[in-house]
Amino acid sequence: MEQAEHAMVDGFSLALDRCYQAETHMWVLVTDPGRVRIGMDPVGIETSGTLAQLSIVPTGTELAAGRPFGQLEAAKFVGPLVSPVSGVVLELNDAAVADAGLVERDPYGAGWLIEARLGRDDRLAGLLADPTEITAWFAAKIARYRLDGVIAL
Amino acid sequence: MTEPLRVIDFGCCSPLRSQTLWHAVGYGVSAGAPTTLSFVRPADPYVCVGYHREIDEVDRAYCRENGLPVLRRMVGGGPVYLDADQLLFQICLPASAVPPLRSQALRMLLGPALTAFRSVGVPAELGEDLEICLGDAKVCGHGAGQIDAAVVVCGNLIERFDHERAARVLALADPDQRDQTLALMRRFVAATPVDPPAFQSALVAAYAGRLGLAAVSDELTGVEHAALTELDERFLSDAWLAGPRRGREEPGTGPVARQVKVRAGVWTLAATHDGARVAAAVVHGAVLEARLHDPELDGAADQAERALAGIPLASVARVLADFGDPGRRLAAAFAAADPGRL
Repeated sequence: MEQAEHAMVDGFSLALDRCYQAETHMWVLVTDPGRVRIGMDPVGIETSGTLAQLSIVPTGTELAAGRPFGQLEAAKFVGPLVSPVSGVVLELNDAAVADAGLVERDPYGAGWLIEARLGRDDRLAGLLADPTEITAWFAAKIARYRLDGVIAL
Repeated sequence: MTEPLRVIDFGCCSPLRSQTLWHAVGYGVSAGAPTTLSFVRPADPYVCVGYHREIDEVDRAYCRENGLPVLRRMVGGGPVYLDADQLLFQICLPASAVPPLRSQALRMLLGPALTAFRSVGVPAELGEDLEICLGDAKVCGHGAGQIDAAVVVCGNLIERFDHERAARVLALADPDQRDQTLALMRRFVAATPVDPPAFQSALVAAYAGRLGLAAVSDELTGVEHAALTELDERFLSDAWLAGPRRGREEPGTGPVARQVKVRAGVWTLAATHDGARVAAAVVHGAVLEARLHDPELDGAADQAERALAGIPLASVARVLADFGDPGRRLAAAFAAADPGRL
């Protein structure tokens, strides 16, 4: 896979070659027509804390946008990994499941979570796709989280 | 008008229900039931493992022989021994009402528990590791998770703690690790034998105050009763007990290790490498006590063990280098330690 185009936004890396789900901080990268790779951006990871465990539904599982496709545990807190798209899970990143720290160390690369085939009607609806829009959203989210004390100044 | 804090005291329940009742509340709150503080006391002892933990961390043969059920919960943390001397409590609220930063959410939702402990005369502190402690000892276990659209944080009032049994239910590598785990539990996990009704009242007042809600005693909703039926079945299924799918660990050629966390920063390690075997108690990054075995150590084990006492884990290999090939093998076994995986 080609090197992603990155920007640094207020201390956080942002890959601009993919789409984002604004609430969950999940990214979606189209790898082939109808096929996507999904992961979590560094701000989403930062709010989770140090990742301890990760579990993901098996390949072949139907995905529904807005519904969990796995669970992530940090600081004894188990929370859902929410799918940004509808479709079917084609592949899991076993390396990340075995070592959740990989998601923190390389969120846009080796720390991806799943690959999926998009549902027939799913055109990445509701995701941020324009780099300018993504950058503005990311910066605003960081600013708000810093203001609220959610992430460090 | 002030919104309600629903308070449900489930009383004394079977091990299964002492878990499924409050999980059902999670689905109820997701479906619109008010923020809820619940209490339950297990009628009989059992073992409960965190959502992601391997069932093999529990000595299931011992549990079977001693009639201890093993259940898996939907919140995090390790395997724990629970019995009638522990009052379990859970605060459950809509996920939208909880800060996105998990540590901040935990601090917000454990804060009232800390207030309650202090109200009943226990001068506890909430440590940076988000454990409620009295001095060196953890006095309240906790776990948290999101169930559907609700966040639940649970904890316990430990009136008496059966350290022996809590250590015995764990699957440990060898008697050395069992001794060390028990010793650490005795030192770092403590009971707070306060009046349970007083603690309950203090907890209700603290959560109502912190969340700006008015406490109202209530019962389960229809949604929750339906969820309870499903949860009872789910929690008894082999598939649920086996746990979620985890990554495929490639069989390695390196040292084999078993690590057991007693509380934040306090854990034991048992590891072997090429005939060498170590068991160590580790406290805040340093070896508290080590037990070393190697066929060629030739009576120097005591000396090596004394040399390691108080040594930071990062310096263990340097210290063991003075003990020749056995020292190198023992250092390789120690290298299996990975606090990040506790």
